[in-house]
Amino acid sequence: MIASAIIPLVVLGAMVGFLLWPGNGLLNIGTPLPDVSIERIEFLDGRIAAHIRNTGPQAVEIAQADVNDRIVPAAVEPSKTLGRFAEAKVVIPFQWIKGLPYEIGVTTSDGVRFAKAVAAATPTPQPDAGRVSLFALLGTYVGVIPVMIGLLWYPFIRRLSQPKYSFFLSLTAGLLLFLGIDALVEANEISLENVAGAFNGQVMITTAALVTFLALMYVSDRLVDGAKGRVIQGSFAIALMVAIGIGLHNLGEGLAIGGAMVVGEVALSTFLIVGFTLHNTTEGLAIVAPMAKEKPKIAYLVALGIIAGAPAILGTWIGGFVASPVASIVFLAIGAGAVFQVVVVIGRFVSRSSGGKLLKGPVIAGLAVGMLVMYLTTLLI
Amino acid sequence: MFSPKLLLISAIAVALVGSILAISSLYANAQNDEEKAVNSRGMGYYQTTGDVLDPAGSSGSASTGIEPMKYLRTFNYGRVSTLPNGTTLREFTMIADDRQTMEISPGVHYNVWTFNGTIPGPTIRATEGDLIRIHLINNGTHPHSMHFHGIHRAEMDGVFETINPGGQFIYEFYAEPYGLHLYHCHVQPLEEHISHGLYGVYIVDPKTPRPDADEMVMMMNGYDTDSDGENNFYTVNGVPFYYMHHPIEIEKGRLVRVYLVNILEFDQINNFHLHGNLYHLYRTGTDMEPDDYTDMVTMSQGERAILEFTYQYPGQYMFHAHKTEFAEKGWTGMFLVKE
Repeated sequence: MIASAIIPLVVLGAMVGFLLWPGNGLLNIGTPLPDVSIERIEFLDGRIAAHIRNTGPQAVEIAQADVNDRIVPAAVEPSKTLGRFAEAKVVIPFQWIKGLPYEIGVTTSDGVRFAKAVAAATPTPQPDAGRVSLFALLGTYVGVIPVMIGLLWYPFIRRLSQPKYSFFLSLTAGLLLFLGIDALVEANEISLENVAGAFNGQVMITTAALVTFLALMYVSDRLVDGAKGRVIQGSFAIALMVAIGIGLHNLGEGLAIGGAMVVGEVALSTFLIVGFTLHNTTEGLAIVAPMAKEKPKIAYLVALGIIAGAPAILGTWIGGFVASPVASIVFLAIGAGAVFQVVVVIGRFVSRSSGGKLLKGPVIAGLAVGMLVMYLTTLLI
Repeated sequence: MFSPKLLLISAIAVALVGSILAISSLYANAQNDEEKAVNSRGMGYYQTTGDVLDPAGSSGSASTGIEPMKYLRTFNYGRVSTLPNGTTLREFTMIADDRQTMEISPGVHYNVWTFNGTIPGPTIRATEGDLIRIHLINNGTHPHSMHFHGIHRAEMDGVFETINPGGQFIYEFYAEPYGLHLYHCHVQPLEEHISHGLYGVYIVDPKTPRPDADEMVMMMNGYDTDSDGENNFYTVNGVPFYYMHHPIEIEKGRLVRVYLVNILEFDQINNFHLHGNLYHLYRTGTDMEPDDYTDMVTMSQGERAILEFTYQYPGQYMFHAHKTEFAEKGWTGMFLVKE
């Protein structure tokens, strides 16, 4: 039994070993081209730091660095030799001038130069206590507060008749559906602009989104099963799933804001914050909707609001201080998978509470209005 | 098992741990290993535990396989014999190859095409009226030839007889006129053959020798290491910034004579600027009267000039292309004037 499982693996291992055997020239067709991606450029006090990654098929050695195609002395940390997918930081002592465009380049040992341009040099925020708390404040503004404001719709939702309630639940589903699509589009854009082909960005996005969707689906089903017979608990479980889904989504929004602050798009960032605030108020609505017919404790509501909103704070930290574009697209894809799962959960809930039929007038109208409202709020961002 | 409360608590716990990890990772790099300094000469210092890249600084002195200091003052007069009619015969063997890879700048490897295994090729020197016989052997994988500037018969021009891999050819011509010339491969695509390194200096001395001097050869070239039609490096005598960390020592009060040739491919307008001094300029070296007294000469590809100067004060003096792009991509050097 075990042997029959292992035999194919042994044969496979032998074949891979044969192909990789030193001196086996069987598959040495063509020349492997080096590829180095410059993922992030920081403008610091008296120096420029470029975060590079070897995205080519083989190890590379960095031989020199340049600023605007002029060779300059530099340090490579931790080492000038980069294995496949390894990263390094190239630090160049340089008196850069704020607001000017710069192009930073590195040349590998075979003389090929890779470069990335920055439209306008802006001091990169450093993770000191002041910055950390500023970013936390931003995350609170865009994440926690709007969701809490949205929760204030609870008394209103409570008093609605069944069709109107279905409408608002579907509206929630529409909002989330839109957020999921939005996150996927955003992830795809980042993947095209900043992620090397070697990472297979689009496939990575799809995989992360699907795996998240399936994992949350499983957790959610167990949660609802476990709560069977206790109606309050059941709807609370759905609200909790909605909050987690939105939380993962807000992590992605935090990343976007932190990222915008880093590359110096400060004006855009202020606008981004106002836009996200309006946009996220609707998320509070999404959380309270499934619980409208119950009487949850205020503390539970607050806890749900924090689960949904606080990841935005974490997101601004990651986006502002450590984010790589690869991390960003993974987070965005996870957020998308999470909100799609919530859409399914809400859909089931609506169909159950309206007697097994999903495609009713209020439901369709809710979905459509939800997506349209979201689209309109994105115009503000 | 899956109670909502438990899930709520674990979600909050995960968020907390995540935040702590995110913040602590920001400070995790502050460990001290052996530190080296990056000195950016006026642009600041940086201490690092990583590797230092500095082609123009002391770390740039690593052996590169090209020897600019040896090339600088080496003149090849050939195997000398006298013909029955009294003419001096100078015979040279030149081997063309295109299979080598050399470290042309610290850490940068490039497929160089060479005469006798060096970039630039050996400096050939004769006196006006000598008979020169060049035995070219092509050990490469592409056809090659040798085209000399100067006066000779059409069959000796190195243009129509391309020498195939494994082939040989004998060029024979009289050294005329006196002056500073050059040779290079003249096989199509010419750009490729020249940019990879098939060139060298050819000096014809006048029958009455020039005054005694500290003589040196400077060939201005470039390397397009990523084949995009633009040079990644500019050098004098083959290695970027070489004479910055290996200054050329000269004597105060002694006449220095530089045989300066421009072979630069792609962006061919090059120049030579001398610090703290001016030089007498003899364009193409074909006249004993200087054309100019200056510290700047600009030349296109194939142009050359003899520069004569004497330093009055000791110290370090730069010389470089007064096109800052070239200077900052390697075409910068230093004279060290000694008492």
